[in-house]
Amino acid sequence: MDWPVLSIMLFTPLVGSVIVLALPKEKPALLKWVALAISFIPLILAALVWFSYDRGTGGMQFVERAAWISAINVHYYLGVDGISVPMVCLTALLTTLSLFYSFIIDQRPKEYFAFFLLLETAMLGVFMSLDFFLFYVFWELSLVPMYFLIGIWGGPRREYAAIKFFLYTLVGSVAMLLAVIAMYLETGSWDILEMARLQPFSTNLTLAAVAFWAVFLGFAIKVPVFPFHTWLPDAHVEAPTAGSVILAGILLKLGAYGMIRILLPIFPAMFRQFAPVVGILAAISIVYGALVAMSQWDLKKLIAYSSVNHMGYVMLGVTAAAAAAGSGPAAADSQAIALNGAVLQMWNHGIITGALFFLVGVIYERAHTRDLKAFGGLGAKVPTFAGILTVTTFASLGLPGLAGFVSEFLVFRGAFALIRPFAIVSSLGIVISAAYLLWKVIQHVLLGPLNERWARLTDMNRREVITLAPLIFFMVIFGLYPAPILDLINQAVVTIVGSL
Amino acid sequence: MLPTLSVLNLNGAVPQIAVAGAGMLIMLIDALFHRGSRRWAAYLALLGLAVALARVVESGASAETILDGALARDGLGMAFALVLIVAAALSVLVAMDYLRREEHERAEYYALILFATAGGLAMAMANDLVAVFIGLETLSISLYVLSAFFTGDAASREAALKYLLLGAFASAFFLYGIALLYGASGTTRLVEMGTAIRLAGTQADPLLWGGVALIIVGVGFKLALVPFHSWAPDVYQGAPTSVTAFMSVASKVAAFAALVRLLVVVLAPAAPLTSALLALLAVLTMTVGNILALAQDEVKRLLAYSSIAQAGYILVAAVAGEVGAAAVLFYLLGYAFTNLGAFAVVLAWSRRGEGRLPFSDLAGLGFRRPWTAAALSLFLLSLTGMPLTVGFVGKLYLFGAAVQAGWTWLAIVAVLNSVVSAFYYLRLVVIMYMREAEMPLALQRAGLALGVALAVCAAGVILLGLVPGVALDWARQAVAVVLS
Amino acid sequence: MSLTQAVFILLGGMAVLGALGMVTLRNLFHSALAMILALFSIAGIYVLLEAEFLAVVQVLVYVGAIAMLILFGIMLTRDIVGRASAVRNRQWPLALAVSAGLLAVLAVALVRAAWPLATYAPAQGGVADLGLALMGPYALPFEVASVLLLVAMVGALIIAREARE
Repeated sequence: MDWPVLSIMLFTPLVGSVIVLALPKEKPALLKWVALAISFIPLILAALVWFSYDRGTGGMQFVERAAWISAINVHYYLGVDGISVPMVCLTALLTTLSLFYSFIIDQRPKEYFAFFLLLETAMLGVFMSLDFFLFYVFWELSLVPMYFLIGIWGGPRREYAAIKFFLYTLVGSVAMLLAVIAMYLETGSWDILEMARLQPFSTNLTLAAVAFWAVFLGFAIKVPVFPFHTWLPDAHVEAPTAGSVILAGILLKLGAYGMIRILLPIFPAMFRQFAPVVGILAAISIVYGALVAMSQWDLKKLIAYSSVNHMGYVMLGVTAAAAAAGSGPAAADSQAIALNGAVLQMWNHGIITGALFFLVGVIYERAHTRDLKAFGGLGAKVPTFAGILTVTTFASLGLPGLAGFVSEFLVFRGAFALIRPFAIVSSLGIVISAAYLLWKVIQHVLLGPLNERWARLTDMNRREVITLAPLIFFMVIFGLYPAPILDLINQAVVTIVGSL
Repeated sequence: MLPTLSVLNLNGAVPQIAVAGAGMLIMLIDALFHRGSRRWAAYLALLGLAVALARVVESGASAETILDGALARDGLGMAFALVLIVAAALSVLVAMDYLRREEHERAEYYALILFATAGGLAMAMANDLVAVFIGLETLSISLYVLSAFFTGDAASREAALKYLLLGAFASAFFLYGIALLYGASGTTRLVEMGTAIRLAGTQADPLLWGGVALIIVGVGFKLALVPFHSWAPDVYQGAPTSVTAFMSVASKVAAFAALVRLLVVVLAPAAPLTSALLALLAVLTMTVGNILALAQDEVKRLLAYSSIAQAGYILVAAVAGEVGAAAVLFYLLGYAFTNLGAFAVVLAWSRRGEGRLPFSDLAGLGFRRPWTAAALSLFLLSLTGMPLTVGFVGKLYLFGAAVQAGWTWLAIVAVLNSVVSAFYYLRLVVIMYMREAEMPLALQRAGLALGVALAVCAAGVILLGLVPGVALDWARQAVAVVLS
Repeated sequence: MSLTQAVFILLGGMAVLGALGMVTLRNLFHSALAMILALFSIAGIYVLLEAEFLAVVQVLVYVGAIAMLILFGIMLTRDIVGRASAVRNRQWPLALAVSAGLLAVLAVALVRAAWPLATYAPAQGGVADLGLALMGPYALPFEVASVLLLVAMVGALIIAREARE
């Protein structure tokens, strides 16, 4: 393609957000439709990229490169490979769905939709950047709109949650920034791929370790990996529904994406050396996240903690690949399988947890409570909701035939071969998550006698069904036939594994 | 032989002459024809600054001295002079509507701003410690008077007195330091002083050590570095807000200009000592400034403590000596736009007759005054160091210089401090957008001049953040041309 | 000990004594008188250093003008001539520490410095040299100092005028 498809995709939402701001606020319907229409442009372009990405050649495609700040060798450098393409598509998809779902927002809709579009630019930018400076700019930029989305449109403790979210992420990012400055001074380049080739600090192991942990901290807080997860429940619970969807669906992926795109290729030796530590953290995230989720009675909080659990699988897959870094082709298959699983899990978690948060929003807007003890017997009362919730929950707990199963299977298949003890401990998490999803979500909400309070509850309306339909589609289709997405991911994963 | 004016070559001193001359012209016209509004004085001040700016930009950098070696027309001096002139011009714009609103519109205000700027220009470009000192005094005394400008106001008077006493104290330190350095080198000319110190090779000269320590204490007072900061919050809060805005930027630019020149030209052989001393001050300044800022509930005072912390960040690059000079310069340029902009918003929103702007007054303004609030958010994000603002590039450059010079631990302390500062900067944003006002503030319409100033500041913050390349190159080339 | 040294010690002692008296005497008027003593002694030291012009200026400006202004100020202000004022406040330990630190720095610097003797005779007819210096190498500080004085004057006017209104 000779036109800058990535740039157009990247800046359309930014321009859109300015357009939305310029529209009169007396016409909320108009600006909502305009925002939605604008968000279709990156969505269509993302689909175009998905289908026209040349799987035969692989590598970085649709590359755009231009000097930006030549004084410090910074470039405007975009490109996508098999790992970024699914993430870009996920971002575009979830943003459009979130905007559509958010038509119910009455409070200051103009600012809300403008911030949402700005957020889309930031998130897309992170997944497309191949220059570390640019990456960092978008990384930090994603904080600001989300901060406002939580802080203005959030729940009762929104101020606290917004500041906590911002500061936690900022701590990680500035640690990362220092490491990146040092890496730039060492290599003379901000180019992420170039840095991976040059392997900074390969002679100074102390410095390498410090830089590794600094960058790790930046990403680990975002993922989040235990013990850096404490911002997550607050932010998720207080954020407005669509904000939670984006937060869980995409923002957490930024951290995981950084682990795979940056940390693993640039510091393979360090990652291997510290794989046991990271593995322990991943295993704790999985088991602890599941246990805490099980103890929740607030549906939204439960799903928030389930994210800690599910993102733990991603970390487990990455750790498995890192643990065998440099051990040659013998382990390459298992490494590739684990990493494939990790990337696919990112996609699946985005789709599934996104859907779960939408569903929480659906029920909360009707019942004005998320207390699991207050529900019960809704299955017969609101059949569409019950059906969609059941499918999504089953996908989340990894039922074969639905998307979650494939990725978790791949992660464990790789991890068992490479880091068996962690994999064994982590498999506990699967059992526990099955338990809480079935017991708490299915049983407490849908089954049992109907609470009289909900006798007049209405089922999902068309807007909500349309929002969820694409997500259900992907859960089923990639559960039954994951080849189209795995082909794409595998390309890039094999390249990374080969370079370790 | 008697020197003549042609030998002195006044041509190169046009910036200083234009600025001080415009100030005197204002005094003269005001005395002879003073009637009605004093707007014309502001315009005249802007004109004088514009002439100076044009002269600075046009003449460019050359490593030569004028006025018989007293004034250096090198890149370093010209660049800092440029930042100072821009800051002064913005301060004039910011003050115009404010002074009228507060019924203190008088021509002397602008004259004093110009005199202060002339003093600062002398500091930035002087190649002679005596000239640096006199420039410093001119700047300081103008600021003492400006602090007391709202004479009916007790806080303003108290601020001025406090500033005067501590400022005089600091000057004594500075002067004593000059005397000791003169004793060590036998000259007051910076370049010759540097040569003498290098040639003597006696870095163990106790006079040199003593002089350096005393000068750093003197400059430390001017820059409000911890532990010499105790005057700053009271003075910043008590002085008229437009003066605070000017003071928080101009005196920092001028003092850092002199400090950088001293470090690069004179004290390079003494780098281990100066760097250690400055590093200690930087850590104290950042940390104490930020921690005290956390406890504030009033915007002007918060910005005072934040200015202290900001000086600490800049010091981090000054520690790196020659490597950090460009970073100091670039950061100050960005800081001028950011801090002046933030104070301009404070001034637009504070109640008439009252310098304070309590946090509670901000509630709900995010939506009642969307443009101004957006501008303030932008300035605060820039002070935090968020990407796409000049604050980010500036901090990157500052801390990068420290890492490059081997001061990694100092950069780490600075970065941690940035995170702490994010908390109090963001709190203002939270209050503006996320709280409803209990008693809505009666806001005045901001005047045109203030609007222009805000727009310029915001544009500066964004442009320098988005395409910093030109300014970074400029800073780097400027400091490369140093008379030494 | 030469005569010069003896005179120096005498003058130096008087200067220190005057300074001490200035900060410790409880009566403001007496303080001012002690200051005059210190300023006079310093003028004497200038004479000793063969800087006669400087000594004359010191007496004219500091003793003649500044000190007299201060005395007038004290006498024209009601109720402070006879009254003893506090010479200490709560922060005196801190001030003592700072002063001691400064003294230590200066003492070390001055005692340990290798003071070289000037290789040339002191300039004769200091006034002409001073004039040339002010119009030559020190033209810049000289000119800026005039702005400085203007600022001080304007400032005094602003503050005084407003106080009367």
